[in-house]
Amino acid sequence: MPRRLGWGFWISAAWIALVLGAALAADLLPLPRYDETLVGPPQAGPSLAHPFGTDGLGRDVLSRVVYGARVSLGVGVGAVLLGLLVGAPLGVLAGYRGRATDSVIMAFNDIALAFPSLVFALAVVAFAGASLTNVLIVLGVLGVPAWTRLIRGATLSFAGREFVIAARALGARDRRILLREITPNVAVPAASYAFIGMAIAVVAEGSLAFLGLSVQAPTPTWGGLINEGRAVMDNAPFVVLAPSLVMFLTVLSFNVVGDRLRALTDVRQSGLEPGRRAPALAPAAGSRTTVVERAGDALLQVRDLRTHFVTGRGVVRAVDGVSFTLERGRTLAVVGESGSGKTVLIRSVLGLLPGAGVLRDGEVLLEGRDLTTLPPKELRGVLGTRLATVFQDPMTALNPVRTVGTQVMEPLRVHLGMKRRQARAAAAELLSSVGIPEPARVLRRYPHQLSGGMRQRVTIAMALSCGPDVLFADEPTTALDVTIQDQVLRLIHRQRQEHDMAMVLVSHDLAVVAQWADEVLVMYAGRVVERGPAEALFERTRMPYTEALLRAVPRLADPAHQPLRLLGGRPPDLANPPSGCAFSPRCPYARERCGTEAPPLAEAETPGHLYACWYPELVGREREIDREIDTEGVDTRGR
Amino acid sequence: MILLRLVRLLVVLLVVTFLSYVLLNLLPGDPTTQILGLSASEEARAQLRAELSLDQPLTVRYLGWLGGLVTGDLGTSYITSVPVAEALAERLPVTLELLVAAQLIALGLAVPVGVAAARRAGRTLDQVLTTLSFGLLSTPVFVLGVVLILIFAVKLQVLPATGWTPISLDLGWNLTSVLLPAVTLGCGQMAVYARLLRTDLIATLQEDYITLARARGLSPRRILWRHALRPSAISLVTAVGLNLGALIGGTVIIETLFGLPGVGRLIVDSIFSRDYLTVQGGVVLISVGYVLVNFAVDLVYAAVDPRIRHA
Repeated sequence: MPRRLGWGFWISAAWIALVLGAALAADLLPLPRYDETLVGPPQAGPSLAHPFGTDGLGRDVLSRVVYGARVSLGVGVGAVLLGLLVGAPLGVLAGYRGRATDSVIMAFNDIALAFPSLVFALAVVAFAGASLTNVLIVLGVLGVPAWTRLIRGATLSFAGREFVIAARALGARDRRILLREITPNVAVPAASYAFIGMAIAVVAEGSLAFLGLSVQAPTPTWGGLINEGRAVMDNAPFVVLAPSLVMFLTVLSFNVVGDRLRALTDVRQSGLEPGRRAPALAPAAGSRTTVVERAGDALLQVRDLRTHFVTGRGVVRAVDGVSFTLERGRTLAVVGESGSGKTVLIRSVLGLLPGAGVLRDGEVLLEGRDLTTLPPKELRGVLGTRLATVFQDPMTALNPVRTVGTQVMEPLRVHLGMKRRQARAAAAELLSSVGIPEPARVLRRYPHQLSGGMRQRVTIAMALSCGPDVLFADEPTTALDVTIQDQVLRLIHRQRQEHDMAMVLVSHDLAVVAQWADEVLVMYAGRVVERGPAEALFERTRMPYTEALLRAVPRLADPAHQPLRLLGGRPPDLANPPSGCAFSPRCPYARERCGTEAPPLAEAETPGHLYACWYPELVGREREIDREIDTEGVDTRGR
Repeated sequence: MILLRLVRLLVVLLVVTFLSYVLLNLLPGDPTTQILGLSASEEARAQLRAELSLDQPLTVRYLGWLGGLVTGDLGTSYITSVPVAEALAERLPVTLELLVAAQLIALGLAVPVGVAAARRAGRTLDQVLTTLSFGLLSTPVFVLGVVLILIFAVKLQVLPATGWTPISLDLGWNLTSVLLPAVTLGCGQMAVYARLLRTDLIATLQEDYITLARARGLSPRRILWRHALRPSAISLVTAVGLNLGALIGGTVIIETLFGLPGVGRLIVDSIFSRDYLTVQGGVVLISVGYVLVNFAVDLVYAAVDPRIRHA
């Protein structure tokens, strides 16, 4: 089991075991019989001899509760088993066979679920007679639809998985697949629901007993005890409270056990508060930065930014000492593979990471003012008006249940204090400035009624609405159609020029970067590995990783069928990065030193061009080899 | 679209009424024995059987009964000699008031609790609220009712333990008499809704559009109430409909516990007095009501979620 069950689980399990044990061994326990009257004075409070006191007839309440557990737990376990025995095969059948079988079973299921179950149980027990068997059968049958639904869902999600499809493709028999592959995977959700189901059945039996429609007196049941106890509530509240408490604890325990089991397969975490400032993060091993950024009057300056995630596997150094400077009117491209920390860098600069488990350190200076120390309210003022953001996927960037108009007008109204009418006019103007036809109509639309390209234009319009100084564009065209990509990039570029903004453009597309960026920052494993003016960085690459990225770009001059020069290996595990230079395991030039000592950022001949590599003079060989192969390839074919 | 839904609704209603009718008729035990007792003569039984049309085939009886149902005639109780429909109509307002009050209390508490917990997911407040609602969720409604009666009626003596004042008689007393039952019934639902809303909100808060709203410098309060709550409210609406079944089951117990003259109590009383037609009428009323409410929830669902409205 990958996650811990927690102490609540064990206490609950222990309580269930205790109640179950007491119920089974009731005859052996040193208790008066449940129906023996006047074992003590009637309605006597709790005492050593009678821990739960005695009821109106002087019967021992503890004994009655213990014997009552026999019925309650018996019905709970029995009903669950019955529901499982009938519901599980139906669910597996529906989930595994699909099509008509599924439709028929689920149609019946939906109708069965349309009955208010307790009322129905009540009526059936009333007509069939109130006995243990009848209660058990009714509650068991009423549990069947829920079981069918659960097992079907679980089966469905596994029936399509690779390993089941593989087993099918290998010609395994259906029964064998069901038994060997699916059953073990359905077991955990089923076990979880079994406990929840017992809680439900115990409550349902209690309800029937409370109404006098379960097992008849003199056999005690919890619900019946509570009902009887009501009569003497004024003088002897413990008579009603004791079974109530035991019943509550038992139901709670079943629920806790079921819930913890379910939680094993379910991981989720979040928060809305901004990340807390880390109490001085220890600098990563070997993160000596030889070039220290000077504090200046630059528009945006990021200094030694670190963002670490505290996870179950250890501390993930997603951003580890990144620095850059951005002047007005310039475009800085942040490049790297997926998982190199580009997106986290942007969110970290803007303070958008969730609070729990995130440590952030370093400075983000906007015209000399450190955003990381601003109180949340002031930071929000800056975020809304001076820094703007566009994300990768326009499908998820807009709220699906609010109109485009509401969303575009919101920053105008909140930050610029516009009135509704004024904001609507401004919003329409914004939309038309990003090339949306019929803006007044689009304002009334919902996001799902627009195409991907249109939606991205809308998010760009929203970003531009308050006249920002810096636009952060996180892969703004990756999710779009190739034909739309160029249009959107041109639009962003034009807007950047018109409004004299600076832009941070995150991209993994080097062709885009070469076309639009003034400066480039290459990230690997959360660190800057090379940085500088675009031209210098592309022409005189000093870091093997940058070279590898450049080699991976297909060129028009490539001959047909030229295999793509893919970057071998995988990005490193940031919770457990390799020692020395993080890129060394994948680097064609790596030598001994690279595996032990991390290279600092050093300055190249071009001013502002920095790189982190011990052997920059080697870089470029691989590209030369490419060229030779290319030439030879062409030549060979020419002959 | 709406036509298709109506057709489906009709099919479900037919099946639900048929099953209610047939199941209660197929159960072992001779209704004549139940009504007349073991000592009745065979002639009396035969006469009663003819009176109840028990000598006819089941489907014929069902159709006849269904025809009556459509025209509002559910037969006349042979125990109390009151038309079943009339008895139900008299009791229905009490149950409806209890249901509505319980839902209002549940939702009114669940929304702030769910939002507060989701906003600080994983922190102390969230843990306290989550634990509390888990506890409430595990409290059977009659246990909670007994405890509340013990506190407010027996010890503090601020609220009546039992009894009912109709709304037409005195609004103030009516509200006093519905308060404790509605709180008892609503608390469990509150826990269900709050947990659901919390989970859903936490998922919604991880959406890109929420991060972007934060990037636009909107306040957490605004983001929660205007951006996140509405998408999450959609699952809540569904839950409100689906939970109605549990809530109706709860009214039966609550009405018995607090001595309220509602439909649930009528059903229980009729079970003990072997008033077979009234039980059947009550069960059908509740089942049909439940199906209809869920149908309405489907419509509300569409109104809240534009993705469905325009689909």
